Amino acid sequence: MIVKALFLVMITAWIAGAIASLVTGRGVIARSVTALGACVGSAACLLLGVTALVTGQSLTLNSTRLLPVSGLMLRLDGLGAFFLVIIGLVGLASAIYGYGYSANYEGRYSLRMAGAMLNLLLLALGLQVMAYNALTFLIAWEAMSLSAYWLVLTEHDKTETVRAAVWYIAMTHAGFAALMAMFLLMAGGDLTTSFEGMRSNAAALSSTLRNVIFVLGLFGFGSKAGIVPLHVWLPMAHPVAPSHVSALMSGVVIKMGIYGLARVTLDLLGGGPVWWGVVVLGVGAISALLGVLYALMEHDLKRLLAYHSVENIGIILIGIGAGLVFHSYGLTSLAALGFIGGLYHTLNHACFKGLLFLGAGSVLHGTHTRNMEEMGGLIKRMPVTALCFLIGAIAISGLPPLNGFASEWLVFQSLLGGFNIPRPEVAVIMPVAVGMLALTSGLAAACFVKAFGITFLAIPRSREAEQASEAPFSMRAGMAILALACVALGLAPFIVVPALGRVLAGLGGLPDTHPAFTLKLSLATPGGASRVSPALLALGTLIILGLIPLALRALRANRRLRFGDSWGCGRIGQTPRMEYTATSFAEPLRRVFAELYRPTKELTIDFHPESKYFVQSIEYKSEITPWFEKYVYEPCLWLVRLLAVNVRRLQSGSLHLYLVYVAIALVILLLSARW
Amino acid sequence: MTGYLLEIGQAALALLLAPGLVGFIRVVKARLQGRRGAPPWQPYYDLRKLFGKEAVVSRNASWLFRFAPYLIFATTVVVTMLVPLVAAPLPFDAVGDLLTVVYLMLLGTFFLALAGLDPGTAFGGMGASREMTVAAIAEPTIALAIFGLAVGAGSTNLGQIVAQTLSHPGAVINPGHLLGFAALFIVTLAETGRLPVDNPATHLELTMIHEAMTLEYSGRYLALIEWAAGLKLLIFFSLLSNLFLPWGVATALTPGALAIAVIALIAKLALLGLAVALIETRIAKLRLFRVPELLGVSFVLALLSVTSSFLLR
Amino acid sequence: MNSNDAIFAQLATLGSSLVLLFGIALLWRRSLSAYVRAFRWQSLALALTFALIGYFGHNRELYIVAAILVVLKVIVIPGYLTRLYERVGGKREAQPYVNIATSLIIAGLLVLLSYAITRPLVTVSKLPTRNGIPLAVGLILIGVFVIISRRKALSQIIGFLVLENGVALLAALGTYGIPLIVELGVFLDVLMGFLVMQILVYQIKDTFESIDVEQLSRLRH
Repeated sequence: MIVKALFLVMITAWIAGAIASLVTGRGVIARSVTALGACVGSAACLLLGVTALVTGQSLTLNSTRLLPVSGLMLRLDGLGAFFLVIIGLVGLASAIYGYGYSANYEGRYSLRMAGAMLNLLLLALGLQVMAYNALTFLIAWEAMSLSAYWLVLTEHDKTETVRAAVWYIAMTHAGFAALMAMFLLMAGGDLTTSFEGMRSNAAALSSTLRNVIFVLGLFGFGSKAGIVPLHVWLPMAHPVAPSHVSALMSGVVIKMGIYGLARVTLDLLGGGPVWWGVVVLGVGAISALLGVLYALMEHDLKRLLAYHSVENIGIILIGIGAGLVFHSYGLTSLAALGFIGGLYHTLNHACFKGLLFLGAGSVLHGTHTRNMEEMGGLIKRMPVTALCFLIGAIAISGLPPLNGFASEWLVFQSLLGGFNIPRPEVAVIMPVAVGMLALTSGLAAACFVKAFGITFLAIPRSREAEQASEAPFSMRAGMAILALACVALGLAPFIVVPALGRVLAGLGGLPDTHPAFTLKLSLATPGGASRVSPALLALGTLIILGLIPLALRALRANRRLRFGDSWGCGRIGQTPRMEYTATSFAEPLRRVFAELYRPTKELTIDFHPESKYFVQSIEYKSEITPWFEKYVYEPCLWLVRLLAVNVRRLQSGSLHLYLVYVAIALVILLLSARW
Repeated sequence: MTGYLLEIGQAALALLLAPGLVGFIRVVKARLQGRRGAPPWQPYYDLRKLFGKEAVVSRNASWLFRFAPYLIFATTVVVTMLVPLVAAPLPFDAVGDLLTVVYLMLLGTFFLALAGLDPGTAFGGMGASREMTVAAIAEPTIALAIFGLAVGAGSTNLGQIVAQTLSHPGAVINPGHLLGFAALFIVTLAETGRLPVDNPATHLELTMIHEAMTLEYSGRYLALIEWAAGLKLLIFFSLLSNLFLPWGVATALTPGALAIAVIALIAKLALLGLAVALIETRIAKLRLFRVPELLGVSFVLALLSVTSSFLLR
Repeated sequence: MNSNDAIFAQLATLGSSLVLLFGIALLWRRSLSAYVRAFRWQSLALALTFALIGYFGHNRELYIVAAILVVLKVIVIPGYLTRLYERVGGKREAQPYVNIATSLIIAGLLVLLSYAITRPLVTVSKLPTRNGIPLAVGLILIGVFVIISRRKALSQIIGFLVLENGVALLAALGTYGIPLIVELGVFLDVLMGFLVMQILVYQIKDTFESIDVEQLSRLRH
């Protein structure tokens, strides 16, 4: 069967890529085998996902036939196939991109580990969405976390990187502990129970137990996805990883949290009381808003993108939360709409965030800095990167006709169904969520005007920016793949939405929503029909764009063009110091949201020693208050340190004392066994 | 076939009326301020003048600077074909709904802001930053106003919203309806760059928002942008009037109904233009950092409108 | 219980008692060379016990185990130990933590304790060798006690080796030995462990100019 064949190709390619990378170790050969293994595997993964979605075939594997290890179960169903598409697409682009990007690491860092871990990460991701019992799920989860950890540590000589990796591994393991507890509760202590078994047991669980499972799941999956307040590792870890790894992490790894949440709450538990959906919706809305607000204040390009990942996870959770709320009221077609919106946004975010990170990597490659305040004018020196980044920026701001708009439109539509909810107190949450979502998308647009404008437009602000060179072909190819995906997914939601409808059919009792295949995207919601057709919009805009020059020619408009200096009120010459900076661009918003940011300000002015009317230098330093790090994590860390210092009193440093401890323990054990 | 003709006719009508609307508001303001003012067809002369001039482009700017005016103009024209100016439902109703309209205009603003940053001047950066701030903060109000209208009509389709209000005339004096209108009016002032948010006639760079972004443009580019700004004003006015008070809009495509619709449209635009001119004469421009407070007021109004329509069902 | 078994039981108990006595000798003597000698004799007694059990229990493998015991614990390891203390340690153990008289009393108490602990095991077991089990457990406890009450690293190593002997004796008496492959693994373990400890002793000597383990607490900051 083709599905089985694709699966085997996928697994073998990734394993072969990992082993080959470990063996060859350096140079072009190492980079090529890594990229080749990862590419072939990702392409197979993508094809597998698409085939499974289109034909509806599924695949079941019990491990005893593959390995002499028992207890592992794999099964591919619709939800898993959808996530395989995401893994394959972003994996393919990252792998191709990584070939060119890791040339920077020759001789400085270990290509061996980076290549092997990349393939292992992809393998773990692929197996994760096919896991059919708790044991396989947890093993794949841990493998994914560890390989991502090693990838984050690629540039290990910088303190910032090591610190970020420590935070990452600590938080991911806290989440893992919660997940293990959750699965133990769901499976009644036996981790090899299949999901099928868990599904049938779920109805018998008491409601307190179900609530506990939900909370544990939200904590565990949420810490991986990066919801507020568990997000602090994201802006630390994603910037310091190599750019193709950042794209993979932001695009795929955090989505595994969404996969887990959907799988557990909708599929295994079959939905729950209203407050589950409300909590998810609330957490999503807050994450979205806080994510974008913190992103606005960043001038490190990759940190900005990392905070936007938090924001988009929030938007996905808004969709999923709305779906859960509708599900608990029995409004199944609206629930399906909410989930479709959330999952579609998952795919879209993977594409445009991956694209943006790859673009940021190209910029980093060309200018050797991540600081936006040192860039500028790159659109002339790196035209392909600029175009791809622009496409990503338009997509993430949710502007038509690209994919961000399609999924945000779906999420809006599902929230608009809120007036069907019987209880007014719950229904009122929907408009509030609409307002927050709209504010988020407006602020995201503002943030990306800043990000694209300061980085690529105007005059270069430093020597590196003046001399930046375009990225090599492999990096451009990787970006182009994702850019095309963004455009295609935006113009053709009528392909994605029916597929998603089929994926969700049957999960947790959702009906099979079959929007018809037309050029328009028609949604039949209770109460009315809304329609949008991004493809026709794009067509119309292009036609008019083409007509305008013709009309101008017909009007006999003046077509001459002259180049001159920018207007400057009569000043002579323009320097980069005169243009707007990223900080100044964000300053009005900083003032507006000053209550949240609580910016601190330090201003030192050095006057000329002879006269205080001549200023020699001015130093201005401003920081925003990191609420979560300061008020949530610092106290926790302080408590842990206090406990540790007190426990240290037990340690005297004397070997004999430790041995006495051991001997006493032995005697006590023997005695207690006897009695 | 008639549908496509209608759409093209509607777009042409909008293109024709837009500069006239801007001129009308200017003339009323001038008379209220005790001046004679230029005649209402002055903007047409201005456009003709600009189209005849050579365009000067900064050396620091890139292809985006020259592409942006075309994109802005094209998206605004597409929007005129989606909005119910003279008839509802439109044949292109299925292509875009109210949300699409809002986001298409945001696309135009996005590119205008980028074009402001491109020449590398401080004025352009300032205009871009202020414009994006105002646009971002106005978004929740717009979304809630759309939500309020959609709740009543059952969908965000423009044709359906108009049909709903036409079939339930009593709903017009609903408190939710009126609050929504007020909120959307404030947002219109913000989005189209009218006092008290932005002064369209100012010559002082520090008080500019929209003007600052377009400071570097000249010739045909400036003409396209000015025309698109006029179109945006017309679109917002017609949304305000035809979504909340849709009488006069043709529901059947007969010449008589269409003629009435055109006259009704011109009357409503004139009325709203008069109101805006009055407000502009009476009120001074707000400091930039007071604008979020104003938009916050509009947000609260919109929230109240939605909540009341939820809880008073 | 036939006479063969009776003789077997007697001889087995005799062998185990000898092994234990040599272990107690460790607590009585002071000098390091005496320690090594005691260990040697103990290992020889252990090997003979193993051979005995192999003969009476009809288990050929135990002969091989006994032979390896002789090679490893009577010849090789004591040889290394001698070389070690000639190079590193003084000839005498410095004042141990617990003086000789008290150590002997504690040893006696430990053997009593082991009788108490293993009583259920002895009553359940049907093997003729069962009476030796408490002695083996007692040897284990005495090995632990040697480790914790001695100051010098070398004495602690010997205490560890005695502990190993006790475990092996327990395995032989309780189940007529453990599978050969496991036994070989254990031997390998002991050898490796011993070599590691040897290296550590050299390191300690280099760092502190003495092998008094108390000096290690200077490492704590």
